[in-house]
Amino acid sequence: MKSFVLALAFAILAAVSVAMVLNSYQEASWAAFTTSGARVGDPGNNLTGPT
Amino acid sequence: MPGSLSNFKFAGFKALLAAFALLLVFAQPAAAQLSFKPTAEAVQEDKLLNALKEGDKISGRISIPDKNAANLIQPAGRDWRDFHRSKLPWIGGVAILGMVALLALFMMVRGRIRVHKGFSGKTILRFASFERFTHWLTASCFIILALSGLNVSFGRTLILPLFGADAFAAMSAWAKLAHNYLAFPFMLGVAIMFLIWIKDNIPGRLDIEWIKQGGGLFSHGKHVPAKRFNAGQKGIFWIVVIGGALMSVSGWFLLFPYLPGNVTILQFWTVIHAVIAMLFIAAMLAHIYIGSIGMEGAFDAMGTGEVDLNWAKEHHALWVEEQQKKAGAPSDRTPHAVPAE
Amino acid sequence: MARVKFLCDADRCIECNACVTACKNEHEVPWGINRRRVVTINDGKPGERSVSMACMHCTDAPCAAVCPVSCFYTTADGVVLHSKDLCIGCGYCFYACPFGAPQYPKVGNFGSRGKMDKCTYCAGGPEADSTPAEYAKYGANRLAEGKLPICAEMCSTKSLLAGDGAIIAEIYKERVMKRGYGSGMWGWKTAYADSPTG
Repeated sequence: MKSFVLALAFAILAAVSVAMVLNSYQEASWAAFTTSGARVGDPGNNLTGPT
Repeated sequence: MPGSLSNFKFAGFKALLAAFALLLVFAQPAAAQLSFKPTAEAVQEDKLLNALKEGDKISGRISIPDKNAANLIQPAGRDWRDFHRSKLPWIGGVAILGMVALLALFMMVRGRIRVHKGFSGKTILRFASFERFTHWLTASCFIILALSGLNVSFGRTLILPLFGADAFAAMSAWAKLAHNYLAFPFMLGVAIMFLIWIKDNIPGRLDIEWIKQGGGLFSHGKHVPAKRFNAGQKGIFWIVVIGGALMSVSGWFLLFPYLPGNVTILQFWTVIHAVIAMLFIAAMLAHIYIGSIGMEGAFDAMGTGEVDLNWAKEHHALWVEEQQKKAGAPSDRTPHAVPAE
Repeated sequence: MARVKFLCDADRCIECNACVTACKNEHEVPWGINRRRVVTINDGKPGERSVSMACMHCTDAPCAAVCPVSCFYTTADGVVLHSKDLCIGCGYCFYACPFGAPQYPKVGNFGSRGKMDKCTYCAGGPEADSTPAEYAKYGANRLAEGKLPICAEMCSTKSLLAGDGAIIAEIYKERVMKRGYGSGMWGWKTAYADSPTG
């Protein structure tokens, strides 16, 4: 029983940590697709909703 | 000066003459148009579509940084849609419902596999706590992954009509997040399982014997010898490792789509992910059946780690002998087996 | 009821990107989301053609068919729209779309790509017509005001046509007859399999 509960706890903990790590790498498309020819500041969030 | 005015007039006349001459020059191509067709080499959509091979795309040059935008038409999306809405439901339905039917039939015909000599009351350690932890880590993640995955494939048809679009979408959003993030502890669990149990899961001659005798599934009372894991369990091990690896690789690409970068490659990996998932779920249903209600005494292995000695002697006789030899204890005392940590 | 379509006459398109600019301006589309784009085939070679491509609003839309939460719907005019409230950002519509219309606000892992956005034929979305709420989610709703999509309206050479499918097909056929050539109704066979020639 103990190993089962521990396993569940570990799974949830791992999932939450992974979520935090991956979200830190998340980029808005306007930031990701900025090029040397098109340097873009925050274009607002019409259509994309609040970040 | 009278000369300058006439010079100017003559200059104007020269200009007019030049313009008229130019007109004649430009008039020439009108006659030549019949032999030179400027649109002869123009790209034709029909020709491009017909020239496309399986999975190919019509693409060109764009001025946007997003490379995906260069694809103009990818007809493979149509085939992908057909696969996911027509073929995959069949594969999944047959595999999963078929397995459920098979298990129900087995339960009816064979009944629950009992310990022939009855429980002895003595136990032997089968799985150490770390092994059980790893199993439950992988198994619990698998349940959520399987359910959330099935929701993507079948939820719209089976669940949406019951709960309405808003509730279903909200649930699906959470299911998708759970699927994406629980995939990581699942991958870790499979990796650990591979490392700790590979040595007991190498196929051998004993397994051929076991398979030939059908694992003793239908022979009441006659038990086929096996070591720590019998051929059926080794089959499950390799299904989990190989299936898990395929799910992990395909899932990884789906989670990070910029890695393959290409919608065609992504389509391929979704097909792998979906098909392997259906087969994997079917196999795990059988594993869950036998480990829970299908065979009495089996659940203890993962539940407490300690299994009944009679159960162990009937199903893993050679393993019991090895363990007792290791412990150096006579068979009527509960031996303290060395945990495989 | 009219069944509206898009038709890009590639032989007239000069790759000026006015359609793209008009769309971006009308709906305040952020950088990185490309509702409409111009693709040039055989660039630099004889016979190069440019095609303006956005959502084609297909009959039997593949995006609608594969969506796990069924967030798409087709209006009476044949415009394919979707609900960003139901969308879970899974990306299936992008795999299925032959034209690459679905766009996502974030580019990291697919798990949190954000809600899908695409060309709406300037017809907004499920929110009430011409309200700020609709504008914030889906952009301008020109169809509700009886206007055609701004990309086609702004096309400098009238290569991008939008409107009743039968009418624009007729216009295109007249052009092909008059000038003697035409590179095809780009995307029509794929998008409007039931009426590929109008």
